[in-house]
Amino acid sequence: MQNTDCTFICEQFTEYQENSLPSEIRAKVDSHLASCSSCMEMFEKLTDAIETLHSLRTLKASPEFTSTLLSRIDTLNQETVWQKIYASSYSRVAGYALAAGLVVALGINVLIDPKSPMKPDVQSNFAGEKINPAQPSQSLAEVTDSSANASSDSLTLQNSTINSNNQSMQLVSGKK
Amino acid sequence: MSEKPLKTDEQLIAEFQNGNENAFVELVDRYKDRLVNFVYRFLHDMTDAEDMVQETFLKVYKNKHAYREIAKFSTWIYTIAGNLARSELRKRKRRKTYTMSDLSFNDNEFTPVDPGKDTEGIVFNSYAGEEIMRAIYALPEPFKTIIILRDIQELSYEDISTILDIPMGTVKSRVNRARLKLQETLSYLKE
Repeated sequence: MQNTDCTFICEQFTEYQENSLPSEIRAKVDSHLASCSSCMEMFEKLTDAIETLHSLRTLKASPEFTSTLLSRIDTLNQETVWQKIYASSYSRVAGYALAAGLVVALGINVLIDPKSPMKPDVQSNFAGEKINPAQPSQSLAEVTDSSANASSDSLTLQNSTINSNNQSMQLVSGKK
Repeated sequence: MSEKPLKTDEQLIAEFQNGNENAFVELVDRYKDRLVNFVYRFLHDMTDAEDMVQETFLKVYKNKHAYREIAKFSTWIYTIAGNLARSELRKRKRRKTYTMSDLSFNDNEFTPVDPGKDTEGIVFNSYAGEEIMRAIYALPEPFKTIIILRDIQELSYEDISTILDIPMGTVKSRVNRARLKLQETLSYLKE
C-alpha cells in the first residue's frame, strides 16, 4: 500500500518526466525516487509504457482513401442537386395546381351561382350598357348579402346595369 | 527560387469556406493518416477506422461553415472524429460485440485484429505493440481517449483541453492517472 508521499510522488510523474515541474517539487521527487524502490520501479515501468506508446507504428490511410472520399462527395453533391431540383419543381407544380384549382373553383362558382358577382357584369356586357370601372369588385358573401337584403349598396351596383331592384329580381326569376 | 510558404490549416479551411474545393483536398491529405491512426486506436479495425474518418471529412465538408476561427482546425476535426469513434464504441458495446473494456483478459474475450481487413497488413508484430494495444483497450473511457491523444497523437495539453473541453490541470492529472492505469494493466498482462 502506498503512503501519502508515494501517492503525491506518483501524481507528479507525468510532469516530472516532461521536465515541467517547479524546481522544488522536482527535487522532492528526485529525493523520493532515490529512497523508494517501489516508486522507482513504478516510474521506470511508466517510462517504458510511454516509450512503447510512442514506438507504436504510425498507421496510414489506404491509397484509395481520398478518391473514395471524393467520389462519395460527388454522389452527395449530385443527390443535393437532384433534391433541389425535385424540391423546386415540386413546389412549382404545387403552386400551379393550387392556382388551377382556384381558377376552376371560381369558374364553377360563376357558372352555378346565379347570384355570382360576375353575373351582372356579364349581363351588362351583353346588354351593351356601361360598367363603372371605378366600382370595386365585391366578394361573393357581400353580394349575396346585399342581394338578399336589397341594401343600398346592392342597389347602387345593380343600378349600373338595370334600372330597379324589381327588374333585377324579375331578370333573375326569368332565368330560373 | 523561394518555395511557396505552406498554408496553415486555418487558411485552408477559410479558402474552402469561400468555395475552393482544392483547399479541402489539401486538408484531407494533411489529416487522413493522423485521423486513421487516432480512430483505429479506439476501434481496432482498419476498415471501420477508415469509414469513420471518411464520415469525419464528410461532416467537415457538409458543415464547413460551422467552423469558426476561435479554435484550431486540428482541435475541431479531432473533436468530430473522437465523437464519432466514441459513439461507434458505445454502439458496439450495446450490441455486445466487443468486450474489450472489461479489465479481465483472456483469449476468448480478446478479439484480435483481423489481418484480412487491414489495408496495409497492419499487424503488430512486436509483442510490446500487441500488449500495449490490449492495455489501451482495457483502459476506462476517459483514460483511453486522453492516452491516445497525448501519447499516440502527441497533441499538446492545450489542444487536448480544447478537444475534451476540460481544464488544462484536469488534462495533466488525467494523463498521469491514465499512464499509471496503463502501467498497472501492462503489469497485469505480463503476469
